[in-house]
Amino acid sequence: MPDLLPVPTSMSITLDQITKRYQNTPVVNDVSLEVSDGEFFVLLGASGSGKSTLLRAIAGLTGVDHGRISLHGRDVTQVSPRKREVGFVFQNYALFKHMSVADNIEFALRVRGVKSAERRARRQELLRLVALEGMDDRLPTQLSGGQQQRVAVARALAHKPQVLLMDEPFGALDAKIREELRRTIREVQRELKISTILVTHDQEEAFALADRIGVMNLGRLLEVGRPEELYARPATRFVATFLGAANLLLARQTAQGIRVGATPVSTMLDKPANQRAELRREHEVVAMLRPEEISLAVERESLNSIYLGAGKVETISFTGAFERLRVRMVEADKAAVSADADAENLAILDVTRTQHEQRQLPLSVGQSVAVGVRRIHVLPTPLSSYSVYAVTSTEADALKQHPLLVDLATRMKTRITTQIEPGLGQAGTARPQQPLAGVAVIAAGADAGAQLDWLLQRGAAEVLILPGQYTPATRVLIHWTGEEVRRATLAVAASVLRHVPAEATYLNILPEEESDASKPSGMRELLDARSEAQAVHGLEMRTELHYGDAAALLQRELAEHTSGMLILGVTDPVDFRQRFDWLLQQSPGWPVLLVFRSEETSAPVRKMT
Amino acid sequence: MADTRQHTVLPGFGLTVGYTTFFLSAVVLIPLAAMVIKASSMSIGQFMAVLLDPRVIASYKLTFGTSLLAALINSVFGFIIAWSLVRYDFPGRKFLDALIDMPFALPTAVSGIALTAVFAQDGWLGQQLARMGIQVVYTWLGITVALTLIGMPFVVRSVQPALAEVQRDLEDAAETLGATRFTVFWRIIFPTVLPALLTGFTMAFARGIGEYGSVIFIAGNLPMKTEITPLLIVIKLEQYDYVGAAALGCIMLGMSFFMLLSINLLQAWGRRRLFVGKR
Repeated sequence: MPDLLPVPTSMSITLDQITKRYQNTPVVNDVSLEVSDGEFFVLLGASGSGKSTLLRAIAGLTGVDHGRISLHGRDVTQVSPRKREVGFVFQNYALFKHMSVADNIEFALRVRGVKSAERRARRQELLRLVALEGMDDRLPTQLSGGQQQRVAVARALAHKPQVLLMDEPFGALDAKIREELRRTIREVQRELKISTILVTHDQEEAFALADRIGVMNLGRLLEVGRPEELYARPATRFVATFLGAANLLLARQTAQGIRVGATPVSTMLDKPANQRAELRREHEVVAMLRPEEISLAVERESLNSIYLGAGKVETISFTGAFERLRVRMVEADKAAVSADADAENLAILDVTRTQHEQRQLPLSVGQSVAVGVRRIHVLPTPLSSYSVYAVTSTEADALKQHPLLVDLATRMKTRITTQIEPGLGQAGTARPQQPLAGVAVIAAGADAGAQLDWLLQRGAAEVLILPGQYTPATRVLIHWTGEEVRRATLAVAASVLRHVPAEATYLNILPEEESDASKPSGMRELLDARSEAQAVHGLEMRTELHYGDAAALLQRELAEHTSGMLILGVTDPVDFRQRFDWLLQQSPGWPVLLVFRSEETSAPVRKMT
Repeated sequence: MADTRQHTVLPGFGLTVGYTTFFLSAVVLIPLAAMVIKASSMSIGQFMAVLLDPRVIASYKLTFGTSLLAALINSVFGFIIAWSLVRYDFPGRKFLDALIDMPFALPTAVSGIALTAVFAQDGWLGQQLARMGIQVVYTWLGITVALTLIGMPFVVRSVQPALAEVQRDLEDAAETLGATRFTVFWRIIFPTVLPALLTGFTMAFARGIGEYGSVIFIAGNLPMKTEITPLLIVIKLEQYDYVGAAALGCIMLGMSFFMLLSINLLQAWGRRRLFVGKR
C-alpha cells in the first residue's frame, strides 16, 4: 500500500501494522503505534501477550512478518540491530561479566572507534547520571542487582541512541530497590528527553512511569491512552480488569438511561452524537464499577450516592491504607448480576474503603449494608454476554461446551446463560420469558434458519452460529452487506478480535459489472473502513477488494481455508436467508457471527415478512 | 577446628573429609609415593644418567610436543564441534552428540589399531596422503592423530555446557550496542567460554601425556624418532629395570604436575577476574 501520510517528524517511533507469527499463530497481531519525541511509553500486558516480542522487533532482535517500523522517520524494518541506534535494557541486565563497569559502558563507543579521552568523558557523565560515580573499575559481579541494572542503563545510553527500549528492567529486583531505580530511570529519561518504550506486566509501574500506556493482550494492542484516562474510562473488559480491580456488571441500556437490575442508576450519559443511536436501542451493556467508587451505609437513606441495592458483608481484609471488602448483593437485587463468567461470583462486589471511611462506619462480617455507587462507566463493547438457545437441554449443554464459545467467554470474562426454548424455530410461539440479552448462540444445521428467524423476531441483534466441528480460527473475515451495518459490524469485530489470536481481513465485494467504474470508490471504501476500524475501535485489519457475487465469493473463501471465522453485517434478513442460507448449514465449517442492523440510527431488525 | 565446621543441611563434614583423604591416599598418593621411594633408591648419578639419556630426552620432546599439538588442535576443532552441537539443531544432532563420547568408551588399543588401518600406506586415508607425499603412520604425525582422537571429547564436553550457558541476551545486547558478529564472538562469547576451554585443553593435554594404548600401534616405536615416554617405561619394566622405570615415571610426574598446576593457576586467576566477590 502506498504511503498515504508522510510520517510526522515529531514521531520518534512509528509502528505500522506490525505482525509477527510463530508457527502460524500471530504473537504480535497488526500493531500500529506512534510514540512522540521524548515520550515515555509503557507497554503493559500479561506474560505471553506479545509485548516483549514487539519490543525486540523494534530493536531488530526479532524480524517481523508484516508491517513497517520507523525510527525518527527512518524506515528501519530491514535494518540490522547494530545500525538501528537503539539502546536496549534487558530484564537480567545482560552485562558483560568479564568486563569492568567502565568497559561495559564504553563498549558501544569502542566498537565505533571513539577515542579514549572522549570515551572516558562520556562514561563519567553516564555514571553520574545513574548515580554510580567511582564504580568504574568494579566488575558486574561485585555490584548489587540494582546497581547492575543502572550500569546496563548507562551502557544502553552510551552511543546516544535515538530511542531507549527497556524489557521488564525491574523484574529481577526487590520492591524497595525497584522504586529507587524507577525514579532514577524517570529522571534520566526526563533529562535526556529520549523517547522510551518500557515493557512491564506491573500496572503500578506503568502508572508511575508512563506518559502514555498501551495495553497488550493476545498480541493485540488493545488500548492506548494516558494512565488516568485508561483507568477511568477503559473501552474493554480486559483493560478494565487489568488496570486495577474492577466490578463488571451486566446492565441494560434503555431509553431512560442505564439500569442495573431494577435500579435506574444513571439517566443521562454524555456521549458523542454518533453513538446516540446505540443509546436509543435497548440492549445489554457492561458497566464497570471501581471498588473505590462503591460506598456502603447502614441504610439506603444515609447513602450519598446512587443506590444500587442491599448487600451483606462477606469478607473484610485489611491491607494497610485500604480495607478490602467483598459484599454479596442480596436476593432482591440479584438481577444486578456480575458479568463475571464464574457463577460463584455472580452477585459479589469488591469494595475498598479508606481509613477515613472505615472510622466513620466500622463494619463487621455478616452485617447488612446498603450499597451505593459514586461513578459508573459503561464499556463501549458491543458484546456483553452470551445466551445459548436450544430446544433441549442436551443440545444446549453441547453448545455451551463449544471450544470457541468457551474461549470467547473466558477471555472476555463474561458469562454464558442457557435458554431452553421448546418452541425455538417454530412460528407463532409465545415470547421468551426473558428479554434477549447479549449475543444469541445457536448451532449450525438444518434448523438454524428457522431458529434465526425466531430470534430475529424477538429482537436479536447479534447471533453466533457454531458449527459442530471447529478448528481454532487463525483468520477472521469481516464483511457487511450494506453501509448501515458497517459501524456495528466493526465494533463487534473489534471486540471479538481482542479476544482471539487471529488475523482480521475486511473483504469489500463489489458487483462484477462495475469493476472499472467503481474501482476508485471501492478503494476509498476500503481505506475508510480501515481507518474507521483503527480510529474508532482500535482494530487493525487487512483489506481486500474483490469483484463478483458476495455470497459466491465468501462460499469459495470458506471452502479454501479450514480454520476461520466470519463476521457478517446484515441489513436485510430476507435477502440474507435467500443468498446466505448455506452459511447456516455448513458442518464442518466456520463459526459465523451475524450482526443485524436495518438502519444505522436504529434498533436491530424486527420486521420480518 | 570448630571454625571449619559450617552448619549445613547435610551432616558429615568429618566423614566426607575422612573418606576423601583415605581414598586419595589409597589410590593416588601412596602409589605415587611408592614410586618416588623406589626411584630414590638410585644415586643422583644413576638418576641423572636415566634422565639425560638421549633416547629419553627425545621421548620427552615427542610426548609433550605431540600432546601439546593435539590439545591445541582439539581446542580449535573441539570448540567448533561444541558450537555446532549447542547452537544448531540439525538432523542427526543427537547421534553426533553421542558419538563424541566414543573415544572414552573404546579401549584405546582398538582406537590405535583402527587409526593404523585407516592411515597405513594401503589404508583409505593413508593412500591419498601418501600420494601427496605425507606419511602419517610411524611418524610423529600419527601420534598426534591418535592423541587428537583420544583428547577430543575432553574439550567438547567441557566447552559444551559453558557455551550453552552464554546468554543470548549478551549477544543481543552487544548487537544493539553496534558490535559486528566478529566482535560479538571475539569480545563476548570467547572470553565467557575461555575458562571452560582451558579446562578442556588441560584435560586433553594431560590425557595425551599419559596415553599409551592407541599410540604404540600407530607410532611404530622407532628409537629416537617415534618412541613416547610411557613406552620407554614399559620397555624398562620388561627388562626388569624397575628403578629406572620409576625414575622415568617420577620425571614425567614432576613435569606433568608442574604444567597442570600452572594451567590451573592461570585458570584460577581468570576465574577470579570473572567471579570475584560473588556473594
